[in-house]
Amino acid sequence: MKKFSIPYMIWMGLLVAVPIVFMMVLSVTATRGVDFTGAFFTFREWSNLTERIYINAFINSFRLSTVVTIISLMIGYPIAYMLARSTSRFKSLWLVMIIVPTWSNMLLRIIAWETLFYPTSILNSIGISLDLIGTDLAIIIGMVSIFLPFMIFPIYAVLDKLDVSLEEASADLGASPWQTFFRVTLPLSTSGIVSGIIMTFLPSATAFAIPQRLGGGSILLIGNIIENLFKRSFNYNLGALLSLLVIAIIFIGMRILSKVDAEGETLI
Amino acid sequence: MKFIEFINVSKDFEERVVDNFNLYINKNEFITLLGPSGCGKTTILRMLAGFEDATEGEILFEGKSLKDIPPHKRAINTVFQKYALFPHLNVYDNVAFGLRQKKLPKEEIDIEVRKILKMVKLEGLIHRKVNQISGGQAQRVAIARALVNKPQVLLLDEPLSALDLKLRQEMQYELKEMQVALGITFMFVTHDQEEALTMSDTIVVMNDGVIQQIGSPIDIYNEPKNRFVAQFIGESNIFRGVYQGSKQVLFMDQLLSCVDENFTKGENVDVVIRPEDFDIRDDGPLKVVVEAIVFKGVHYEVIARLQGKEVVIHTYESPTVGQTIGLSVDPYEIHLMKVPHEEV
Repeated sequence: MKKFSIPYMIWMGLLVAVPIVFMMVLSVTATRGVDFTGAFFTFREWSNLTERIYINAFINSFRLSTVVTIISLMIGYPIAYMLARSTSRFKSLWLVMIIVPTWSNMLLRIIAWETLFYPTSILNSIGISLDLIGTDLAIIIGMVSIFLPFMIFPIYAVLDKLDVSLEEASADLGASPWQTFFRVTLPLSTSGIVSGIIMTFLPSATAFAIPQRLGGGSILLIGNIIENLFKRSFNYNLGALLSLLVIAIIFIGMRILSKVDAEGETLI
Repeated sequence: MKFIEFINVSKDFEERVVDNFNLYINKNEFITLLGPSGCGKTTILRMLAGFEDATEGEILFEGKSLKDIPPHKRAINTVFQKYALFPHLNVYDNVAFGLRQKKLPKEEIDIEVRKILKMVKLEGLIHRKVNQISGGQAQRVAIARALVNKPQVLLLDEPLSALDLKLRQEMQYELKEMQVALGITFMFVTHDQEEALTMSDTIVVMNDGVIQQIGSPIDIYNEPKNRFVAQFIGESNIFRGVYQGSKQVLFMDQLLSCVDENFTKGENVDVVIRPEDFDIRDDGPLKVVVEAIVFKGVHYEVIARLQGKEVVIHTYESPTVGQTIGLSVDPYEIHLMKVPHEEV
């Protein structure tokens, strides 16, 4: 069977390994964009990492994505639980309604929020005027609405497989519904929760379109910094270095994910 | 006052699964609900445990209705069909679950848990994960987890069905012993008639959500009330006959003596004869032709034909195929049953 994996290996090499090696080279050299004439080896960009603007961007990313993850968990767990325990014949319809938005263009959904968050919007017709662009709240609402399905589905997948008779056994042994939840249901859905947290945290920590549109340029996340470095200031070296840092964070996240869910049962 | 009483209990899911169920259970009784799958026996158990509400009727526990008492407040524990052990806890923590719920002191919990694990012979597996033990061991953990709470009633939902034959028979005796030793009421659900006959004080035979017969194992076996019970419990030959009065019944053109007399002269009856109750004798009044013989270990199973009707006979001596043999039946081995109304 091994030979059938060769095309896959080639694609992985071309699209993943080569770019990463390329970024590694960029991060320890001084070049003009991708023009390597007169390039030389240097750790110059590494010392720039301690500059306020980059540290702030990392802190912003971490702070906002933590809040987004917590809110998503608070909203997502009950939804996943209700879906998993639902015997309604509309259950699959509910599931589809949660999946479908993830198939539509994310940028479109962000712009939809954006238009609502300006003081002059369609909401004026029902007497509401929001002024949220440039606030944390705008970014948080945008992120939660977009990443919530990634929290719901891993938890749903675990709860759906959880044998109801375990909860019955708990009640049978004298546990109230809340005690059953904390002593049986919650511990047995940990792998789904960890998956959900990682799958929500990573895209929000690395998002750049959402903060760009809803942050109004005043809130910079690490994704925005990287985008600016490549597209505006053409500092590919620092851009590559920051990208590598983000990749490293994602890699650690995926490692944790594969530890808690070795069979991939929380992933749909 | 009855210990537990089901009064006109019915349960509908999409259709009616339990219909007008009436039963009382005594303290320390080993009562078995016996019937084919889908007969409503598990639903009865789940209503007593509190996992299902009765659509109609009520269940009384020591004279008080259980209606508004949630499962976690009932002095009833359950051994689930697939055990439902908590996979995130080890054997010890599974068994300690109920006691911790009661907030007993740690030392007391420890003593009780170790005591019960010793009783079910699992003291060596205390720290084992529940997915690292065998089916038989898991079954013992499930029983220990329920019994450690000293329930007044233990409900057992086909707890032996996943075990192999040898282990199952062993557990039957052990369960019966535990029930007698602990003095707890056991309500056992099974589709296995042998299991029911071995362990029970009282058997409730059910079919299609309706009680067919309630009685001791001996009553149920020897005096089945209707065809369903006769055929479900053990093997039976059932003949149509006519009661002739004065303990005489006419069937298959033969007039035989019986001991039943609660019938009117000329009434149609079902005549039940167990395969082991036929005696092969040359002067036997029922002449049958042997069609097949199967060796069953202890006995031979003889399939024979009597006026076109198949008859099953258990015997220790093998006749030969094609031979015509005579069968006789002692009067007390002939059991008469009422014919269902729609067929009279």
